[in-house]
Amino acid sequence: MINKDLSIDFLGVHFENPFCLSSSPVGNCYEMCAKAFDEGWGGIVFKTIGPEDFEIDEVSPRFDELTKEGTPFVAFKNMEQIAEHPLKQNLADLKKLKENYPDKVVIASIMGPTEEDWEELARLVTEAGADMIEMNLSCPQMTSHAMGSDVGSNPPLVEKYCKAVKRGSDLPMMAKMTPNITDMVPAAKAAMAGGADGIATINTVKSIANVDLEKKTALPIVNGKSSISGLSGKAVKPIALRFIQQLRVASGLEQLPISGIGGIETWEDAVEFILMGSTTLQVTTSVMQYGYRIVEDMKNGLMHYMEEQGVEHLSELVGLANKNIVPAEDLDRNYKMYPEIDWDKCIGCGRCFISCYDGAHQAISWDEKTRRPSIDTSKCVGCHLCALVCPVHAIHPGKIVMKEGREGDPSKIDVVSQRLN
Amino acid sequence: MTKKYETEAPGYTMTTVMEEAARCLLCHDAPCSAACPAHTDPAKFIRSVRFRNVKGAAETIRENNALGAICARVCPTEKYCELACSRSGIDVPIDIGGIQRYVTDFEQAADMHILHKGDSNGMHIAIIGSGPAGLQSATTLLEKGYSVDIYEKNAKAGGYLTYGIPEYRLPSNIVDYEIKRITDMGANIHFNTVIGQDITMDQLKADNDAVIVAIGASEAKILPIFENNDAVETAVSFLARTKEAKGNIELPKDALVIGGGDVAMDVVTTLKNLGVEHVTDAAYEQFDEFRASKKELAGAEREGVTIIDGYIPESVDGHTVTLKHRHINSKMTIEADAIILAIGQETNAKNLGIRLEHGEAPSAGYKTRDPKVFITGDIAQGDKTVVYAVQKGKEVADEIDSILGGNRHD
Repeated sequence: MINKDLSIDFLGVHFENPFCLSSSPVGNCYEMCAKAFDEGWGGIVFKTIGPEDFEIDEVSPRFDELTKEGTPFVAFKNMEQIAEHPLKQNLADLKKLKENYPDKVVIASIMGPTEEDWEELARLVTEAGADMIEMNLSCPQMTSHAMGSDVGSNPPLVEKYCKAVKRGSDLPMMAKMTPNITDMVPAAKAAMAGGADGIATINTVKSIANVDLEKKTALPIVNGKSSISGLSGKAVKPIALRFIQQLRVASGLEQLPISGIGGIETWEDAVEFILMGSTTLQVTTSVMQYGYRIVEDMKNGLMHYMEEQGVEHLSELVGLANKNIVPAEDLDRNYKMYPEIDWDKCIGCGRCFISCYDGAHQAISWDEKTRRPSIDTSKCVGCHLCALVCPVHAIHPGKIVMKEGREGDPSKIDVVSQRLN
Repeated sequence: MTKKYETEAPGYTMTTVMEEAARCLLCHDAPCSAACPAHTDPAKFIRSVRFRNVKGAAETIRENNALGAICARVCPTEKYCELACSRSGIDVPIDIGGIQRYVTDFEQAADMHILHKGDSNGMHIAIIGSGPAGLQSATTLLEKGYSVDIYEKNAKAGGYLTYGIPEYRLPSNIVDYEIKRITDMGANIHFNTVIGQDITMDQLKADNDAVIVAIGASEAKILPIFENNDAVETAVSFLARTKEAKGNIELPKDALVIGGGDVAMDVVTTLKNLGVEHVTDAAYEQFDEFRASKKELAGAEREGVTIIDGYIPESVDGHTVTLKHRHINSKMTIEADAIILAIGQETNAKNLGIRLEHGEAPSAGYKTRDPKVFITGDIAQGDKTVVYAVQKGKEVADEIDSILGGNRHD
C-alpha cells in the first residue's frame, strides 16, 4: 500500500496530515476526538466552547437532509449550537487530548458575546494546552444574536473580537467566516487587521432544506415549528470553493492561509480545496454520515494523487488552481468545440436529444428507427449539455473550430478534463 | 409449511424504489413502453416515481391496465418491457415489474379510485368468463358507459388468476382487490353459471347488445398414457385445490412434474414450498428453448427442484414413468408418489356456437360469424399471457364500441 508524507505546516503548526474534524458534533468530547485521532485524523477542532454562563439548550429533533433520487445527505441541515458540556470539562478534555496525543493538533474553537468573553476564553484554552485557536464568528443558529454569523458578517465586530482574542493568547489563530454574506473579503480583511493569522471557511449556509407539506413548516419539526439553520455537505462544496478562490485572489489577501471547509468527503474533494488554496481541511457532515473511518480513503487517495503528480510535499499543491480561475471577461471566446459521439458506447436512450432540444439549441436530431442521435454542427454552439446528460459518457470533446473571423490555432486549445466518470 | 407458500416476497420501499427508478435512463421515445402489449407505459410511470409523483404513476398504470397490480407480479416482463430496456446497454434492465408493484401497492394503500363508470349509454354487454381478458373488457366497456354482466362458471372470479397462480406469486387478496375495483365500477358477476347449460347462448344474445366469449383455456390436457392412473393429477387441479386450501393439502412423499412452462414451474415451486423434499421436473424443451420465464425457472432452481430437460414420457406403470430424450439415445425411469401433468390446457366451448381450431379462433381479430358475438383472451389469436389478455380485453371493447357506438338507446 502506498505511503507518502502528508504532513503540512499551517500557521506555524505542524500537521501530520491536513485532515481535521471541524468544530461540530463530531468533536464534542475527549472520547470522540481520541477515536478520530486513533483512526488517523491529523487534527481536531474541538466543538466550540462558549462562556461559562451561556446556557446551551438544544432542540429535538435537530437535523434534516436534502435528498435527490436515491441519494441521501446531498445536503445536511443542523440546528445544534456550541458545546453543551460545562466549560471546565471542555478545558479538561482539551488538556487530556494534548497530553495523550502530543503529535496531533488540537484546535480550540471559541465564541463569546463580549470582548471580555473572547479574551478570557482565549486565555483559558491556551492554558489548557491547545495548539491553535479558531474563532467561531459564523454559526447561523445561535439563540443569541450577539454570537454567530450575525457577528461574522459585521467587519468592525470581527476586528474587535479578533483583537480581544489576541490579547488573551499568543497562539496562532484563525477566524472562521460565514458564507451568509455577498463578499467575504471585507470580513476576512477585518479579521486579519484584528490579528488573525489565517481564515477557516466556510461555516454552514443559512437554509430551509425541506418543508413538511401537511404541517406547513420546515424540517425538522420542533413541536410544530422550525427555524432557518445551517446547511452543509456536498451541496455546499461549490459555494465554499467559490469563497476560498475569491479570498485567495483578493488584493491584499494574497497567499492568505486558509483551512478549507464545505462538503469534503472524498480525496478528490480534498484536493480541490487544496488546489484552491486551502492548507488544512475540515470535515463534519460526511463523518456524521459515515464515521471517522472516511479519513482512510481521503489520505490514501491523496497519496496516490501526489504520486501521480510527482509531488513530494503537499504544500506544493496549495493554491495551484487560483491563477487558472479568471474573470468571465478574460476567458477565450474565439472558438467553439463540437461534441463527438462514441458509437461503441451509445446505448440509444435519447437523453442528449431531449436536453439539446429542450435545454439548448435543437442541434441534435433523432433517428427513430435506429434510436441514434446525430449532431448538426450548423446549429451546435458547443455547450456540451449533451455530454453532461449522457448516462454512459459516450459524448466527448470533438472538433474545435475558430469562430468566424477569429484568429487562433484549434490544435492548441485545451478543453479536456481527466476526471474519472 | 404453508407459510412459505402463502408469503409473497417483500416489495420495494419508497427509498429502494427510488434507487431503482434512479437507474432508469428516462429514455426519449422509451423502448419499454413500446414493448408493453397492454400499453401500461412504464416509461411514464417510472418517470413519475422518479419525480416522487406516485399517485400520478398509479393513474398511468391503472388507466391503461385494469389488472395493473396483477401484471406487476405475473407479467413475464423479461419478454416485453425489460427486454427492450435501454439500461441493458449498461448492465441489467430496470426492475419494471417491481416498480409497478410498488406503485399499485401504494394505490391500494391510499385507497385511490382512478377508474369510473362512464355516463350510461343504455347498452348491455354480456361477458362469458371472468379471467383477465373478461375483466379488462368489462372495465373498458364500463368506462365507455355500457352496463356489463359477467358469467362465471366457478364460485369465484379471476379464472387462472384465482385458481391457478400460487399464493406466493400472486396473493388472493391482490386479485380480489382488483376484481372489487371492477365490481365497484358496476360490473355484475353471476357466479356458478355455465352458459349453454344454465343459460342458453340465444338467451344471452337476446338480452344483450353484444356477447363477449372470454372463456380461456381452463381444462387440462392429459396424455393418453396417463389416463386412468390414480397417481396422476393435472396441474390445473393441483394448483386450484392447493390455492383453495391455502396450502393445507396432503403432501406426496415425492413428485414428478411433466412440463416446462410457467405452470410447471408453479407446481414444482409450490411442492417445494410446502415441504415436499424431492421434486423432479421433466421438460420437453431443452434449457436453451425453455418456455417458462427466467424468473420462474430461477425460482424453481433456487428451491432445489431437479430439472430434466429435453425428455418426453414414453410409458407409465403405476408410479413409474419412463422418459426418453428427444434427441440423444437416453432413457430414464423415475418413480414418484405423485405425477403431475403440466402439459398445457384446452378450451371447452361447448354450446356457445363459436368455431375454434386448436382452441383458437380460425382468423385474427375478435369478430365471429355472428355479428353479436365476439371473442377475446386466450381463444383469440396471439400470446396467451395475462398482459396480452389485458390488451385483447381492451381491443375487443374498443371494437364493440366502434360498432355499437352509434346505437345509443338514450
